[in-house]
Amino acid sequence: MRILMIEDETALLERVTQQLREQGYAVDSAADGRTGLYLGQEYPLDAAVVDLGLPDLSGIEVIRRWRAAGRKFPILILTARGRWQDKVEGLEAGADDYLVKPFYTEELLARLRALIRRTGGWTQAVLQCGPIALDTGAQQVTLAGQRVELTAYEYKLLEYLILHAGTVISKTELTEHLYQEDEDRDSNVLEVLVGRLRRKLDPDRTLNPIETLRGRGYRFQLERSAG
Amino acid sequence: MHSLNGRLLIAASVVLAAFLGLTGLSLDRAFRDSAQAAVQDRLQAQVYMLLGAANLDAFNRLTLPQALPEARFSTPDSGLYADVMDSQGALVWHSPSLLGRALPFFPAVRNPGDMQFAPLDAADQTPLFVLAFTVSWEIARNQYQLYTFRVAETRQDFNDQVWSFRRGLWGWLLASTAVLLAVQGLILRWSLKPLRQVTAEIKAIETGQRAELSGDYPEELQPLTANLNALLRQGRAHLERYRNALGDLAHSLKTPLAVARGALETDADPGDLRRTLSEQVARMNRTVDYQLQRAAASGRIALSAPLPVAPLARKILDSLAKVYAERAPRLRAEIAATTVFHGDEGDLLEILGNLADNACKWCQRQVVVRAWPATHQGRAELVLEVEDDGPGIPADQAPLLLHRGQRADPTVAGHGIGLAVVRDLVEEVYYGRLEIGRGELGGARVRVRLRFQANDVGGGPGAGPDP
Repeated sequence: MRILMIEDETALLERVTQQLREQGYAVDSAADGRTGLYLGQEYPLDAAVVDLGLPDLSGIEVIRRWRAAGRKFPILILTARGRWQDKVEGLEAGADDYLVKPFYTEELLARLRALIRRTGGWTQAVLQCGPIALDTGAQQVTLAGQRVELTAYEYKLLEYLILHAGTVISKTELTEHLYQEDEDRDSNVLEVLVGRLRRKLDPDRTLNPIETLRGRGYRFQLERSAG
Repeated sequence: MHSLNGRLLIAASVVLAAFLGLTGLSLDRAFRDSAQAAVQDRLQAQVYMLLGAANLDAFNRLTLPQALPEARFSTPDSGLYADVMDSQGALVWHSPSLLGRALPFFPAVRNPGDMQFAPLDAADQTPLFVLAFTVSWEIARNQYQLYTFRVAETRQDFNDQVWSFRRGLWGWLLASTAVLLAVQGLILRWSLKPLRQVTAEIKAIETGQRAELSGDYPEELQPLTANLNALLRQGRAHLERYRNALGDLAHSLKTPLAVARGALETDADPGDLRRTLSEQVARMNRTVDYQLQRAAASGRIALSAPLPVAPLARKILDSLAKVYAERAPRLRAEIAATTVFHGDEGDLLEILGNLADNACKWCQRQVVVRAWPATHQGRAELVLEVEDDGPGIPADQAPLLLHRGQRADPTVAGHGIGLAVVRDLVEEVYYGRLEIGRGELGGARVRVRLRFQANDVGGGPGAGPDP
């Protein structure tokens, strides 16, 4: 999941960026509105966290311009004042949720997960497809009720695929959404990861949850269960 | 022109001067006309007298006797002159008073019965009034001769008379102008006295000698002074609220700070220290949140346009629909388009936002926001009501919820703060009440009554249910 965070308070920006990365997100960060606006317009984001009180270009303005340019990723606003007037203004401008400072990182993560889930059309914290269940809160995967041990990268890959279950996702899209800028983007790595996921989720080769469409990408093809 | 007094004085003076000037001019004109008519009448009488005295001599020529009834005709340079011309313009007779002079030529008189009157100057520049009268005289049987009788009088008397009248007239006019201007000045001073009083009282307020304007003003100024007083009271109330908020903030931060300091001094175990500190940080954060939200309320605005409630409620519900998209509660507003709020938009958003947010947190499926105008003891009220179909608030919990910054359920963030902030806003700023009850949907129903001053409200009868 690729997330953009715009926050002019650098200590907070660094801390949250760090915590988001630890959670397995690919994070772009900007300390001012103009940089943030540019990043949001150029990068394929899964969500953005925008502080309303930015020095040059206000958070509201950044959100308005993104929405005007047709960017649809979910946006979470951070506000220090907590006045309803500010919240309403931000939500009217196109944000999807708000968080009042100071906040617990847990809360920020929970909101982000919910927003990203919502964009994929999921309303529950547990994404269930056939026998496979992915708990976005606990970051755990079970196969027919049995816990499956996954590495962080495997989990990220599976989460992205299940969130967009039913749609074809290209390798480029996957790398863009899963990797940091500076990380190795060799597509062979992706193939290896998919291979390992298949072995762990489908040891008997009967389920075939991840379909490979030659030249187009992958598709998680198990039916979504309730939610 | 920056002075009302000056403006009024100048305008009134111009009007007065124009009126008196035109009056003077027309009186002057009327007097001249009537004096001139009197002169004409007199000269005409003289002509008739001359006609009566005239006779034909033996050679059928017109003659007049030496001694005329009017002695001034016989005295040279008396100022009254006469002569008679025949139809050829030859002088037939002239009065002895005309000795060595000639009357100015008067061309137009040719037909019998014609009379002409004009101010003319004699050859030596003496100003005269001349009256000419032509008669047809029967010299013999069926034989007639035209004669023109002319009588002239010097204009000196007439001019003297006019000037003396003018002196009197303009003297009186100037005197009455002066009196009227003085009276007008006094009237202006008296009329504008309340304005000077306002200025003086405002100055007294500036220097702190007064708190507000006295109520003793003419009705034209009453709205101004009443609103000014309302602004002053509002300013004082704001100040008071800020002072209280700052005081409360300082007070409520002192306790956790003291606890934290105590922990630093005594607690040796890092685990305990961490726990104490994080508890106190959370407590301080709650305090600051609460006080900030309270201070954010800008308060009742003395001169504010009525604000329609429905669009603002729509904004809040749209925002909440986004925030609670996952649970997708049914959010409904039952507010008539005519329902208005007299106060700050931010305050109304704060009240509705906090109440509706709480309702969304607790509801099962639906939340309803209602608003309607009402009256209470003669004062206008706006009633806001937010209801959900959640578990409701137990009666014994309600006072706790309203207590400053207390949370009923620590797992759902911000619950208590929202209600406490709304209560403070409602009670301290809008002198209203907040009631917690059970609604038709079975869940909690929070009803807020906001009071307005009687003169705040100009709206018509409102729609909506009555409690």
